[in-house]
Amino acid sequence: MTRGATKYLPLLPVYLIYLVLFLVAEGMPGMWQLMAMLVFYCAVGQAFNIFLGMTGYVNFGYVAFLALGTYGMALSIYHFHQLPLGVGIVLLGLLLAVVMAVLLALMVGAVALRLGGAYFAIATIGVNEGFRYLIEGTKIWGGSEGIIFSKQLLDTFGREVANKLSTFWADVSVLIIAALAALITLHFIRGKTGYALMALREDEEAAKVMGINVTKYKLIAFVTSAALAGLIGAMAWGLKLTYVFPPEAFDISYTVEGIIIVMLGGAGTLLGPVVGGLLYGLAKYWLTVILPGFQLLIFAPIIIVVVVAFPEGIVGMLRQRLKGTPFEPFVL
Amino acid sequence: MKLDRVTKRFGGLVAVNEVSLEIEQGELIGIVGPNGSGKTTLYNLISGIYHPDEGRVFFEGRDITDLPPYERAHLGIARTFQISRPFGSATVRENVAVGALFGTLHGQIGVEEAMEVADRYIELVGLTPERDKPAGALTPVEKKLMEIARALAMRPKLLLMDEAMAGMHPKDIDKLVAFLRKVRDEEGIAIVAMVEHIMRAVVGMAERVMVMHQGRKMVDAPTAEALGDQRVVDIYLGRPLEEV
Repeated sequence: MTRGATKYLPLLPVYLIYLVLFLVAEGMPGMWQLMAMLVFYCAVGQAFNIFLGMTGYVNFGYVAFLALGTYGMALSIYHFHQLPLGVGIVLLGLLLAVVMAVLLALMVGAVALRLGGAYFAIATIGVNEGFRYLIEGTKIWGGSEGIIFSKQLLDTFGREVANKLSTFWADVSVLIIAALAALITLHFIRGKTGYALMALREDEEAAKVMGINVTKYKLIAFVTSAALAGLIGAMAWGLKLTYVFPPEAFDISYTVEGIIIVMLGGAGTLLGPVVGGLLYGLAKYWLTVILPGFQLLIFAPIIIVVVVAFPEGIVGMLRQRLKGTPFEPFVL
Repeated sequence: MKLDRVTKRFGGLVAVNEVSLEIEQGELIGIVGPNGSGKTTLYNLISGIYHPDEGRVFFEGRDITDLPPYERAHLGIARTFQISRPFGSATVRENVAVGALFGTLHGQIGVEEAMEVADRYIELVGLTPERDKPAGALTPVEKKLMEIARALAMRPKLLLMDEAMAGMHPKDIDKLVAFLRKVRDEEGIAIVAMVEHIMRAVVGMAERVMVMHQGRKMVDAPTAEALGDQRVVDIYLGRPLEEV
């Protein structure tokens, strides 16, 4: 096999998992929503991993990017549905989602990424809450009542297509975004960016004197991660639910879930956030059924055990075990 | 490289006090001085971790006082640390490849070429058997060698070594000194080695020695002359060098 092809081998298990999820959703009645939830958590894990996992920086304001993506889709369909764009309105929504998430990431990142780890984390806590109160207080974008755009979606596409968009294509798009995120992650890990991020994660000062513009590479990871989060928000929350409501969109528990998924699966790995997303999603689903309301209480000790027992996460540990075996090239 | 009367204060403490120093291409210089005499601060001023409170830093005639560390690295300033700072979870090869990717060759080579450059320097310092080990698992001496390989892979013009030989067996020091001399001859790199008390390394390697004392430059002269200086003997060595 050529070197070029072996480079992409680690994508195989990731895409295989996504294919299975899709086939189960399509083939087994009643499974669609559960599979959609799992894909959502995998996608969020992957998007978050590009920043949290690869730089070692924690962003507590992460959900703000998902929220802005949701607003991007909502604003596009709510305000521009009369334009003769057809499905183009959804693409415009995606574009707006990415632009808004990226702008926020640039603004926050250019300032906060000059700070060291813990200071950065504290600086980002305010971003999420601040943005929510900005929307509610200034009454822009529907203020605290949010935006409901199901009517506009119906008017534009008619009942059948609108339904198909929000019950099928929204979820499938998240799967595609997740697949895209995996490709970007692999490209980063194997490329120059990955080396820069590895170095700054391990020792930022040493990375600087080695010639790495650490602020630039942190910003690259931050903006990429934000753009993917914006896309996920636009589809998984925007187009799927056809409304956006600030307390839900800016709910900080999604940030915490993202951190758990990345740590559980293996920070900075390619397969880790997918494994973490699957495990977290399944466990959350069952715990909600068995012990409603207790899922976070149960997850707290689990994550402590994981961090202590295998700090590199499940996939990080798996990689160690598989060294020297034929499976090695597939797990990254 | 030229330091023009640089001063760095930490609160009331003057860590480096109006130190001037010129380093020509291909020079081998030793900086000696007791703990706390300002050696490491001086390195941080040259590599850009600190900004001097007074004075300017020049490199190849250009004022680099306001350049961030990574840009100085691109120009050709490399350093190792007193306490080794490997990228622990990455392999030795990946560590050294970082040097190749982001040093003076940055933007000119890709990851695969960087690996080749890395392999060459790993071989030069004799770490080929440890190439695929995580750098964090190396012995302290191996970590020092790995840092030197990583710095050399940056293809620098000036290499600043901070206590690179501390804790090494005298035989290993002699080997390393011979290696560094060879690198200097072949690649024309100016090498500055900073040592606290390993006179063997200074005498063996440096052609010129700067002695620091309480943040000031006390002596800057050819090695034998500097270490024979009466003030150096009194304050630092305690006895004439022949007896040490």
